[in-house]
Amino acid sequence: MSDPVTFVAKWLEAYLSGLGLASGWIAVIMAALGVIALGSAVLLLDILLVWVERKVVARFQDRLGPNRLGPFGLFQPIADVLKLLLKEDIIPQGADKFVYNLAPILALATVIMLWAVIPISATVAGSEINVGALYIVAVGALGTLSIIMAGWASNNKYALLGAFRMVAQMISYEVPMVIAILIPVILAKSMALTDIVESQTVWYIVLAPIAAIVFLIGAQAELGRAPFDLSEAESEIVAGYHIEYSGMKFGLFYAGELLHALTFGGLFATFFLGGWRGWGAETYPILGIGYFLIKSMFMYWVIMWIKYSFPRVRIDQMLNFCWKFLTPLILTVLSITAILDKLMSGLPYWAYVLGMLLSNLVILYFVYQAVGRYARRERQRVADPEKFRVNFPVKSTASPSHLP
Amino acid sequence: MSEYLPLVVLFILSTLVAAIAVALGHLFGPRRPTERKLQPYESGMTPFGPGTRRMPVRFYLVAVLFILFDIEVVFFIPWAVVYRKLGLFGFVEMLLFAGILEIAFVYAWKKGALEWE
Amino acid sequence: MSEQMILTQTDLAERFPGKVRRDERKGYEGYIVEADALLQVAQTLRDEMGYDYLSSITGVDYLPDGYMESVYHFYRTTGGPALVLKVQTPRDHAVVPSLVSLYPGAEFQEREAWDLLGIRYEGHPDLRRILMWEGFAGHPLRKDWREPYYEEDAKPFKSRWPDGHVYRIEDKNPFHKNVDYPPDFDPDQWVADNDAALYASLAKIQSTLDSSLKTDTVIVNMGPQHPSTHGVFRMVVLLEGETVRALKPVMGYLHRNHEKIGERNTYIMNMPFTDRLDYLSSMSNNFGYALAVEKLMGIKPPERAEYLRVIMAEFTRISNHLFAIGSLLNDLGAYFTPMLYAIEERELILDIFEAVAGSRMMCNYFRFGGVARDLPEGVYEKMRDLAFERLPRRIDELDLYLTNNEIIRARCEGVGVLTPEQAIAFSASGPLLRASGVPYDIRRADPYSIYDRFEFDVAVRYHGDVYDRYLVRLDEIRQSIRILQQALRDLPQGPILAGKPQYQVRVPPGEAYGRVEAPKGELGFYVVSNGKPNPWRYHVRAPSFVNITALETMAKGNKVADVVAILGSIDIVLGELDR
Repeated sequence: MSDPVTFVAKWLEAYLSGLGLASGWIAVIMAALGVIALGSAVLLLDILLVWVERKVVARFQDRLGPNRLGPFGLFQPIADVLKLLLKEDIIPQGADKFVYNLAPILALATVIMLWAVIPISATVAGSEINVGALYIVAVGALGTLSIIMAGWASNNKYALLGAFRMVAQMISYEVPMVIAILIPVILAKSMALTDIVESQTVWYIVLAPIAAIVFLIGAQAELGRAPFDLSEAESEIVAGYHIEYSGMKFGLFYAGELLHALTFGGLFATFFLGGWRGWGAETYPILGIGYFLIKSMFMYWVIMWIKYSFPRVRIDQMLNFCWKFLTPLILTVLSITAILDKLMSGLPYWAYVLGMLLSNLVILYFVYQAVGRYARRERQRVADPEKFRVNFPVKSTASPSHLP
Repeated sequence: MSEYLPLVVLFILSTLVAAIAVALGHLFGPRRPTERKLQPYESGMTPFGPGTRRMPVRFYLVAVLFILFDIEVVFFIPWAVVYRKLGLFGFVEMLLFAGILEIAFVYAWKKGALEWE
Repeated sequence: MSEQMILTQTDLAERFPGKVRRDERKGYEGYIVEADALLQVAQTLRDEMGYDYLSSITGVDYLPDGYMESVYHFYRTTGGPALVLKVQTPRDHAVVPSLVSLYPGAEFQEREAWDLLGIRYEGHPDLRRILMWEGFAGHPLRKDWREPYYEEDAKPFKSRWPDGHVYRIEDKNPFHKNVDYPPDFDPDQWVADNDAALYASLAKIQSTLDSSLKTDTVIVNMGPQHPSTHGVFRMVVLLEGETVRALKPVMGYLHRNHEKIGERNTYIMNMPFTDRLDYLSSMSNNFGYALAVEKLMGIKPPERAEYLRVIMAEFTRISNHLFAIGSLLNDLGAYFTPMLYAIEERELILDIFEAVAGSRMMCNYFRFGGVARDLPEGVYEKMRDLAFERLPRRIDELDLYLTNNEIIRARCEGVGVLTPEQAIAFSASGPLLRASGVPYDIRRADPYSIYDRFEFDVAVRYHGDVYDRYLVRLDEIRQSIRILQQALRDLPQGPILAGKPQYQVRVPPGEAYGRVEAPKGELGFYVVSNGKPNPWRYHVRAPSFVNITALETMAKGNKVADVVAILGSIDIVLGELDR
């Protein structure tokens, strides 16, 4: 019983063929059952995430968090769902009803879709397509679409502003993030996520730490979490694109956002932390599921940690950071990784790993120096004492320029 | 193509689940619309002018930049899988491609396309 | 100090003979200026005598004498007492020249005086109502204006217990029957025309923008129901993409005519009422009001009371600044984490307030000539522990985690700059003024109570941006801790109230302006007494209200996100802004 999932699948397949079904139909039924199992697991996890997020945030913020309903407040998400179900469903005047209703559905569905290609253990993956990395990028972009749809269809200025911001942010950060994904692809020589995990005898975070960091930043931006939460900026545009949503539709955005965060945790684990790999995971694939979940949850925790620690950046800073810093950096790292990979292809693996790590550390050092210099220069420009000398008594020369 | 089958099934399934959730909310939730309630929210004031506007031109520039880079990056992906097999020619070719991309990037930067204002 | 500035106050009457005369009324000070000479006198004050800071403008309705008075309090930013000018004008045709051209900080205060008292300021560029709505009938602070619930001119209302029983006003005046409307007026259908004028003025700016480049500009309401406005403040902004091209502040959503109610109340009844102004720092509000009335009464509190007052005021400053820093970080988008850590310390301070005053926020602790209660047992040790151990440590912690955070610096530095000239011109006060490089702190510039005994530095920063306002608040917390440590060390034993506690105080006729350095800036109370148990005039110069005058100048050309941060850095409380 080393691998119950495969065992059950084999048994089912045998049972179905015993019924005399054509092999094509068996494939369809198996796919459907597998995916239903995967989808339900993900959705159940999603409900739990409501509790996890609220509890963890509370702890970050010196609070207790939900603790009334059930042990440790574990039943809180169920109460939340029930409440959302019973809320009035409001569609604002002038809204484009079809698009307005479609947006939250798409927001959740696209996130669940991402889970199809993530290998959860040595033997379990929704689908082992050979263009997994490309699929992640493509389906990830669909999520952006749901936000534009929500923002545009709501007939609300804040929502529209939020949608503008989100689009600018998501398509900007997609560039460095896709290139960051490209580096594990180069290292593994495959776009299939299963292959990428299998080739990580040494975790790729060791071989490509810069790519890992850039991926994490990109993920934070794609998720729209602080410091990149401009699209829902509570203090500026109130709630941004989902401002006009109530009840279950809002709930779907909320659930989609939480699940999205965990999904990016899972993707980070898959690309850089060896996915399901861990002690004994190959002989006992069921262990792999545990390892994968622990790694994903850890990354989810890191994402939350960042979100609840930092203030928000401004839109120009957000775009500058992406286009003037992350993109050139990751392009450089990509070129160097490709060249080094070519040059070191004959070396033993430990030397290859060491070379990759060293090259990354060197780049990181120079980047750190450059950023420090830039920051110091910025400071000096701002803190010019001559500019701010005051002579007393001050004549109020300022005219009320804003008055007509 | 059989590995794509689960994707299709999952797409249908997840959309269905989300749609059912929306339908349930529609079913159980009360519906007592009033004129004020249905107004789009604008900090408690009656909205002035329509809620959907033309996008400021600045956002289009970002979109164009995105097309420039994302499409080209997509070319990288299949190359990254097979470049060891392509040999030196494929490698140099791609470096040239990346070089052109970076020149375009520097040009855009110098032209001020990356400035927000 | 230049030659010209030695020109003393006594010269003013000689310099403008026939135009300026001393205010000879008993209990009054300053000069009475003829309306047509006001601008000239003010110009002299500003440019030659160094009175560059116009602190307060208000009006008084002297109904029995048949005239209105517009009252001005000028100060020097180099320190010293006030110079008071008054302009008298007939009640039925109250017109006074506007000072906005000389002192832009007069803008909102003149609008307020027009709104509430009906003094028309000639030459004011935008004389609209500010706290009431356009179309409101009458000017409520005029003495002959009566509210719908009117019973009598002054409390305690005798009609409430005609035969030994107390009547609730709701029984006498049932809801829906307590308001009289003109016959052709339907309150449900009526829409205030404020907004039409407001939107039109913005649309005018919009048209000038649209002609140059075909970008869509949007007029967006931020507020009254908006998380960043700290209450029900409203900003109507004209956006071009993300950039704010024009901004109009709208206020008054929380207006309750504090001053009219204050004039109906007896003196002591106003003490708890001041708590409701800036509800985050009620002790400071008490302080200002107590000072003004004590000035009129000519009494001084005993030593121990003075120390207790200073201790409470400084604790208030700390708690207010912690809240201000926390909410600024919230406005910057740090989702409540710094806020909650800052509030933790505030809770400990509120514990002390609860112990001494019985209430955490609405303290009502000060009395004329002292304070209400002495310290209960154990509170002194608690305060010592806070001032000497815990607060310094926790402030260092806040400093460590916030001050050099890259995002905070990037978001705050160089944003919303107010130059020192502008800050003074706009009558800004408190941290807003000191962050612009003007070291003006009333505790030093015009010391009250026993602040001249303590050693502390006036916190001042020079860039005038959001970041410096944050830093000034942090510095001020540190200085407050210094004052607290000295005050707690020297706290003497003795009585806490001059004379015995009394329900009704006797206030001789006259006027007094008591001002304190409240956490948000200069909080002034202008009280006029006519010898009766109720103040004839009770005016609050609220720092939030005056500081907001500079908002538009600071906000223009910035991003939406910056405007939110700028508003957060001014640190307004709507209870005080709208009164």
